[in-house]
Amino acid sequence: MSDLLYFSEHTLQEASLIFMAVVYVIRIRWIMSFTATQERQPATGRGVEDPSKGKKYSLANIAMPWAMESSRTHPFFYIQFVVFHLGVVAAIALSFIIPYGPGLLDSSFITVLLQIFIGGAFIVGIMRLYRRITDVYIRALSSPDDYFSLLLLTVWFAFAFISIPNDISGGEGHLLTYFILTAFFLIYVPFSKISHYLYYPFARYYIGKSFGRRGVFPIKKI
Amino acid sequence: MKSERSHKAQKLIDRMGQKLTRQMVLSLTACVHCGMCTESCHYVLANPGDPTYAPAYKADQLRKFFKRHIDWTGRVFPWWVNAKSIYRDEELEKLKDIVFGRCTNCRRCTVNCPMGVDFATLNRMARGLLVHVGIMPEGVAVVSKEQWELGNQMGVLKEEYLETIEWQEEELQEEMEDPEAKIPIDKMDADIVYTINPREIKHDPRTILEAAKIFYAAGENWTMPSEGWDMTNFGLFSGDDDLAGACARRVYEQVERLRGKKLVMSECGHGYRSTRCEGPNWSQKDVEFEMEGSVITMWRYVKEGAIKVDKTKNTGSYTYHDSCNNARSCGMTEKPRELLHSLVDDFREMYPNRADNYCCTGGGGAMSMSEYRTDRLRSAKIKADQLKATGADYVVTSCHNCVDGLTDLIKHYNLDMKVRQLVTLTANALIVK
Repeated sequence: MSDLLYFSEHTLQEASLIFMAVVYVIRIRWIMSFTATQERQPATGRGVEDPSKGKKYSLANIAMPWAMESSRTHPFFYIQFVVFHLGVVAAIALSFIIPYGPGLLDSSFITVLLQIFIGGAFIVGIMRLYRRITDVYIRALSSPDDYFSLLLLTVWFAFAFISIPNDISGGEGHLLTYFILTAFFLIYVPFSKISHYLYYPFARYYIGKSFGRRGVFPIKKI
Repeated sequence: MKSERSHKAQKLIDRMGQKLTRQMVLSLTACVHCGMCTESCHYVLANPGDPTYAPAYKADQLRKFFKRHIDWTGRVFPWWVNAKSIYRDEELEKLKDIVFGRCTNCRRCTVNCPMGVDFATLNRMARGLLVHVGIMPEGVAVVSKEQWELGNQMGVLKEEYLETIEWQEEELQEEMEDPEAKIPIDKMDADIVYTINPREIKHDPRTILEAAKIFYAAGENWTMPSEGWDMTNFGLFSGDDDLAGACARRVYEQVERLRGKKLVMSECGHGYRSTRCEGPNWSQKDVEFEMEGSVITMWRYVKEGAIKVDKTKNTGSYTYHDSCNNARSCGMTEKPRELLHSLVDDFREMYPNRADNYCCTGGGGAMSMSEYRTDRLRSAKIKADQLKATGADYVVTSCHNCVDGLTDLIKHYNLDMKVRQLVTLTANALIVK
């Protein structure tokens, strides 16, 4: 392994992770600096009003495709969402496995599993890019950051996929690119739409708290 | 010249910074432009191919100022995240047409957003920012002024209100064949203080009589206040939190003055939401007495046997339209149905329903904004199709605004259907000894 690859896998990743963590702390402090609206009214609704139940329902929404009409009526889109995000988790995991636990990749089960998740996410990334370019509604909403973030992730998936065997016999270029992209990704994320996962629990918590208190969540379907 | 920002544009930007809450900031930052909200909007469905109706697109009209002036990436690299400031009054007018004319704040997109973005609250905030600099549809300005000045949104004078109540009291005595039957005004220590929508005084006093008949039959100890009787709140529609707080406080203070035990609001979706759910927040007042929608009061009377009803008196087939404010913002979905089941034989559910129901298309104050009527009625096709599919003779709703919105679209789309409220069906089915 070259010094450059070692630096990319370790020092660069660690520095990027620390940078991201610091920026995220600043970001969360910024969000918390805005006053949260307090609900003063007594609970209302259909007799099941419970803010804690509403919060749990709201946060679990991600795993309940039947809960919202928008995901219920587009199951294929929901599957894409699941595949894409599993791919993100797998590609992030890979960036830790290669430098800190390469022995795990000796297991063909883990290798194939990572390939399935990351390969699937790459395909979904291409589909999402196509959709963002061709769908008149999505195109009208999209900013350069929307395109770039998706493109960045899709390319990152591609290099993660070919880096899975952690094989440098044919050269280090693919691994080097994957780790440099990972470092860039970590630095770029807090400033882009990709940081949505940071806001997700907060946004869903507050909407769940309010709708739970008002008996709207859990939504009753008949 | 971009650097020359108009006074109003500057005021709007300054105001935005003052009005942001944590929930709003999260709604402004969390959107990933996934487009999942798009098909939840009746405006989009009725105007296929036009992305400017999409909820996320509409929310972005506010989000771009937020990004440009408050969020970090947009302040440094505005073009990268579509962050833009606002400079000219013409841009404010364009924003007005979007936030008032292309959204009824029905919150259907909110419950369909995987990220938990509350689009309707953002839209209401954008309305409030525009109102702050005097930019709003004429109807909104007129109604807001009347609610500020007279305490009700239809310009009803106190004499007119009291005369109408007196007239309905005479009708009550005649129908009940009881000269002692009363619609009490300002009675102290009543169990219920009943508040109404001024539309009932102005256009539909029959519903006051119907409510009075139900209270009479139940032997209720009730009263109506001579002041602060309008439980509607145009601040919900205009986004003016000051007006919203003043309206809510006015009602609460009358209940306190009369030492009433419970405040009951007649069937009005936005009135119920404003007074029961949002009012304590807007007025920053902890309300000590109980608050209840009249639908729940009627449901309680039937359930507890305080009144007897005969469902055979309500002939024909019925469906139920969930008011957005009742269902999606206050969770009132089951009791109206339970009450309706006790009042009619032939009930046909509408699909989708409850929190997934489509807006009557007259919500968010749309009925007062005549300049957007064409767009509103074109978008009402979604609701018209939904109503038609039930094959019902009557659509029942618990909202005065929905009554007007539905009546308008039924006429426009030539549907063979009539609109009824639960109070009418309950009063009609009453068995009075």
